[in-house]
Amino acid sequence: MHYRKDINLLDFHRSLDKNTPLSYKGPIDDQILQAFGTYIEGLLKESPKASRKVFKIFVELAQNISYYSAEKSILLNNKEIGTGMVLINELADCYMFMTGNLVQNDDIVSIIEKSEIINSLDREELREYKRQQRKLPPGKRGGAHIGLIQVALTSANPLDIEVNPVDDDHSFFSIAVKIDK
Amino acid sequence: MENLEIEGSHKNFFIPSVNFNAKTGICEITGESFLEDTVEFYRHLVDWLDNYIEDVKGPMALIIKLSYFNTSTSRSILDILNLLKDYEDDGGEVVVNWHFDENDVDMEEDIDDYIIDTGLDINKIPY
Repeated sequence: MHYRKDINLLDFHRSLDKNTPLSYKGPIDDQILQAFGTYIEGLLKESPKASRKVFKIFVELAQNISYYSAEKSILLNNKEIGTGMVLINELADCYMFMTGNLVQNDDIVSIIEKSEIINSLDREELREYKRQQRKLPPGKRGGAHIGLIQVALTSANPLDIEVNPVDDDHSFFSIAVKIDK
Repeated sequence: MENLEIEGSHKNFFIPSVNFNAKTGICEITGESFLEDTVEFYRHLVDWLDNYIEDVKGPMALIIKLSYFNTSTSRSILDILNLLKDYEDDGGEVVVNWHFDENDVDMEEDIDDYIIDTGLDINKIPY
């Protein structure tokens, strides 16, 4: 019997080589945040500096998915939680942290603009931009508008952003962040 | 005026320990800060400081020793520091000591950004 038509778990498994200690798609709620956070701390305990950075980047990006992803899951407690993907890849000289989630097409332009500004600035300019944005009134979820800026500062590398249209209303937004070992 | 004491925890979220003393004016925030509702948590701290500044009018020493905080916390810390700066400008006696891991250059940069942002004289104390 073959029930599965479009999903091949073996291909999926092969696409994630052995240097991918974490890959996930699903809702990012408090418990997932906590479980992954603890896992990341344990995973990188050999390199405390990289561990702190990966953890900080994980919190900001995972929380963005949890609050702002256009794809939602309803949990048992009736809470609506953003759904998305989280992946860690270990390379010889760095860790790659990636997230992906659906975004409303109406929001895409502002996200791309912000990312382009971030990637065009050097470190001092980025700090200035962060101070400027932090002074704005908080977002509706208490956000400080500086999650992506902080991610760029913490990683000390440019953000690798990709946006692909999915349907009339949504695009898939993914970001890869490099953290040097 | 009552003291404000909150016991920290490191479970689903990271709640910092808070120890604000109305008699001595020594106000400590220690641990890690990554909260479910950051704005709500820090509103209590800001309200307490507001009351202290209005009723007690005494000297204040803010002691921060946070090994980690997320960006929404970073905004709430800015609110607290701005409040203290206003108090200092109005003649209040304010000291801010910020303890940080000497290997954490990002944290030191964060403190420098707060100094630039608020104009407060923050003492950076490496450990």
